[in-house]
Amino acid sequence: MSGRKSITISLLILNLLSFLPLLTISFSPDQPTDRRILVLLDDLALKSSHSIFFTSLQSRGFDLDFKLADDPSIAVKRYGQYLYDGLILFSPSTDRLGGSLDLEGVLDFVDSGHDLILAADVSASDLIRSIAAECGVDFDEDASAMVIDHTGYAVSQLEGDHTLVAADDFVQSDIILGNTKIEAPVLFKGTGHSLNPDNSLVLKVLSASSSAYSSNPASKLSNPPSLTGSAISLVSVVQARNNARIIISGSLDLFSNRLFRSGVQKAGSSYKFEKSGNEQFVTELSKWVFHERGHLKAVNLKHNKVGGTDEPSMYRINDDLEFSVEIYEWTGTSWVPYVANDVQVQFYMMSPYVLKTLSTDQKGLYHTSFKVPDVYGVFQFKVEYQRLGYTSLSLSKQIPVRPFRHNEYERFITTAFPYYGASFSTMAGFFIFSIVYLYNK
Amino acid sequence: MGITFHIRRPNPRSQTITVLAGTQKSEKKMGRSTTSKDAQALFHSLHSAYVATPTKLKIIDSYIMFAVVTAVIQVVYMAIVGSFPFNSFLSGVLSCIGTAVLAVCLRIQVNKENKEFKDLPPERAFADFVLCNLVLHLVIMNFLG
Repeated sequence: MSGRKSITISLLILNLLSFLPLLTISFSPDQPTDRRILVLLDDLALKSSHSIFFTSLQSRGFDLDFKLADDPSIAVKRYGQYLYDGLILFSPSTDRLGGSLDLEGVLDFVDSGHDLILAADVSASDLIRSIAAECGVDFDEDASAMVIDHTGYAVSQLEGDHTLVAADDFVQSDIILGNTKIEAPVLFKGTGHSLNPDNSLVLKVLSASSSAYSSNPASKLSNPPSLTGSAISLVSVVQARNNARIIISGSLDLFSNRLFRSGVQKAGSSYKFEKSGNEQFVTELSKWVFHERGHLKAVNLKHNKVGGTDEPSMYRINDDLEFSVEIYEWTGTSWVPYVANDVQVQFYMMSPYVLKTLSTDQKGLYHTSFKVPDVYGVFQFKVEYQRLGYTSLSLSKQIPVRPFRHNEYERFITTAFPYYGASFSTMAGFFIFSIVYLYNK
Repeated sequence: MGITFHIRRPNPRSQTITVLAGTQKSEKKMGRSTTSKDAQALFHSLHSAYVATPTKLKIIDSYIMFAVVTAVIQVVYMAIVGSFPFNSFLSGVLSCIGTAVLAVCLRIQVNKENKEFKDLPPERAFADFVLCNLVLHLVIMNFLG
């Protein structure tokens, strides 16, 4: 009897202990990849019609929490802590999100550094369009407009109205889209959006071809369409200053099983691809947006005088100093050294007095050495690194610089040697003169 | 036209130069050579007069020359290189000019032909000279940097 009791107790304790590791599996600076993702759907049928996408996410280790968009039990935040690391909004026609989530809530979620995938579609609701507008992406004003391309459409058996577009105008970035080139065009059916060219944080990942335009296919065109050509973006990404990443797509079908599996033949070309580029495109983008790729961290910013090892609290003008910083890149599972040849450090006081490119030892250590300028004041070592697709690094460390002490100036000035010589020669001359004068007969 | 020169010198040696009448060209020629001859004669008389000065005064004069030459060298150097350590430049030039000035004072006081300082013992003059030089060199060393 007691044996069984002790067995059950030990089993119970073991069970409880097994929950402990779960506490450590969450988004943290040491493991930047998101873990828990909230997926909001219009219609639970999306779970099966987009199952390839969802299972690929789950196989990479994400915890997906599926809910209907107007489910009243939705809560992303409890007692000030966020319950999820990422949000997928596949609910283009939802007017009101359930629970405690609304436009403000979604924007706060992103502002706190979390990631978002937003899919709009034809007749997207105002809520979805305003979330996109807050992120810097402007959908077509006519909610029922679709992207139509009469020369870049996907050839299909049905006599289509050319709203299924085969797009292959990708952004040139290995970080966002992966190392392998996407051979097949991506099938897209939905609304287009445009980006403000002054906004430096949004980026077109998939643009429409120059023959595309955005209008309602059911009605006749009465005046020229407002969105035309390659200004139309089909899928855009935003990397915010706090390194939150957002994908905004104008089509929910982009992620669907149907388009993943179908072949594609672009109008005007005779080659038919067996499989569209959708699956590769979406998978690579999701790796980027959930911080499995392109996430940098910089640690160990150090500086010291040449010849010393510890960091002084103050430098003197015309000192020689060494500077080093370590930068690592996250591969999805571990930190590896980041290798680049364009990381720069500034020695900055209101404007950079020294700007040097750091040299790397290929193991993540970036170092350089330079001479402190001939100006005294309070300087900063600044490393500002913003590259397409990578998180932005912004480090700074303050250090004061003092002028010479009164006994640190050079003792004898070389250009003044003739004057020294003249003064001493007059002294010697006086001495010799007085001897000669006194002892002259 | 005849031009007559009478030159007064400590040495009673006067020279009279008479130019005979002739053409203008030869007059001019004679004028030029007259001027140069006069300069030569002037230089000679000065030189021979100077040779007659006492040795002590000549020693003082050479000392003064040395100081002035040193000062000129320093000024030329400053004009080439620029006045960067200006205090050193001033110190060097002042030492040369100061020694020259003090030596001139010594010469005046020691020269027997000066009626003003007839009663001043030359030892007193030399002692003043030494003390002033000491003060001068103290100042120079401090200002030299």
